[in-house]
Amino acid sequence: MNEIDALVYFFMMLKASFFSTSGTGNVPSLLNDLIPLGWATERQFAESLAVGQISPGPSGLWVISLGYLTYGLPGALMATAAITIPPLTIIGFDKIYQNIKDHPAVQGFVTGLGLAVIGTFSVVLWRIWQSNGVNISSLLIILLAFGLSLTKKIPVIVILIIGGIIGVLLG
Amino acid sequence: MSSLSHHPDIPEQASPQQSASTSLWHLLRVWFALGLQSFGGGSATLFMIRRASVEQEHWITEEEFTRYWGLSQVTPGINLLCMTILIGWRVAGPIGVAITLFGLLFPSVSITILLTMLYAQVQQISFVQAALHGVIPSTVGIGLLLIWQTGRPLVVESKARGNAPLAIALLVLLASVLVSLYTSLPVILILCGGGLINGLFLWAYQRWLAQGGQA
Repeated sequence: MNEIDALVYFFMMLKASFFSTSGTGNVPSLLNDLIPLGWATERQFAESLAVGQISPGPSGLWVISLGYLTYGLPGALMATAAITIPPLTIIGFDKIYQNIKDHPAVQGFVTGLGLAVIGTFSVVLWRIWQSNGVNISSLLIILLAFGLSLTKKIPVIVILIIGGIIGVLLG
Repeated sequence: MSSLSHHPDIPEQASPQQSASTSLWHLLRVWFALGLQSFGGGSATLFMIRRASVEQEHWITEEEFTRYWGLSQVTPGINLLCMTILIGWRVAGPIGVAITLFGLLFPSVSITILLTMLYAQVQQISFVQAALHGVIPSTVGIGLLLIWQTGRPLVVESKARGNAPLAIALLVLLASVLVSLYTSLPVILILCGGGLINGLFLWAYQRWLAQGGQA
């Protein structure tokens, strides 16, 4: 792990949050920024995403867990600040958006941004999978977790525990 | 601002419970409870916020809730925080924002940090290491569902606009995968690029339709 520059680290978190319109939309940008610098690993991303899924509140709080794993309590607090600031823009945004929301360029931009988030996020999932080893057993666990979460009846924590038990049995 | 900041005890919406519900202490208690109880991710939290602010406290109407949620989707950052901020602003202005945000975040952020600390303590144990080999692919599977849930409406929406917008949308999706996989272009540029290409195309397409083009 390389030494973290707090200011740059905070800026990266803030930037990622500003350019995402959902809780996990900041994953690709952060992965892209932090990993090449040696400030985080794919593994830490996967771990914090898992913690974010089981803790209360918005799943976007995953980044607080990433902050803690990579930079301790200061990291967690910086992450909290970074996710709180961008949504504040909604107060001024409400009026402006009411006036421009019907413009096709705006509608198209919002859709295109969402699609690009999906595209880059799928690459993130691929990298996380690679970091854990791409093989038949992990593929089956992925499909199982996907299938179980598709039912919407099984709590995320249960799906993660099932994955963990399979991991222990295989390991 | 006027549309946002009118106070809930305006005559048209006044009801006996509301004078009590505007007290800041009550506001804090409601949001603290939301932050504490909302296990199960985003949709569970949204459900609870809706029940509290529309049905129980009557801070906002059903229609306002839907409009706020739409707006939250396109505002930077976590949708639920945008929603929380708008409702807080609506109930008590800047102090309302501070209280609702603190109420929602303090318990949930604390629990997130505690869970992570706990995890950091046990992660070196070989049993935990083995379990992680199963947990990590599970997060990938859950992530796939997330992609499906957020991606599908975007594709459906593009299809409703016509075949050409659908083709461009799929192209943007595919291009964002390939560019992010094979180049080191910053993700922010990929996201803005995807938005711009799709936005400019849709604008041109609508103009073309308006001038008599056939979809």
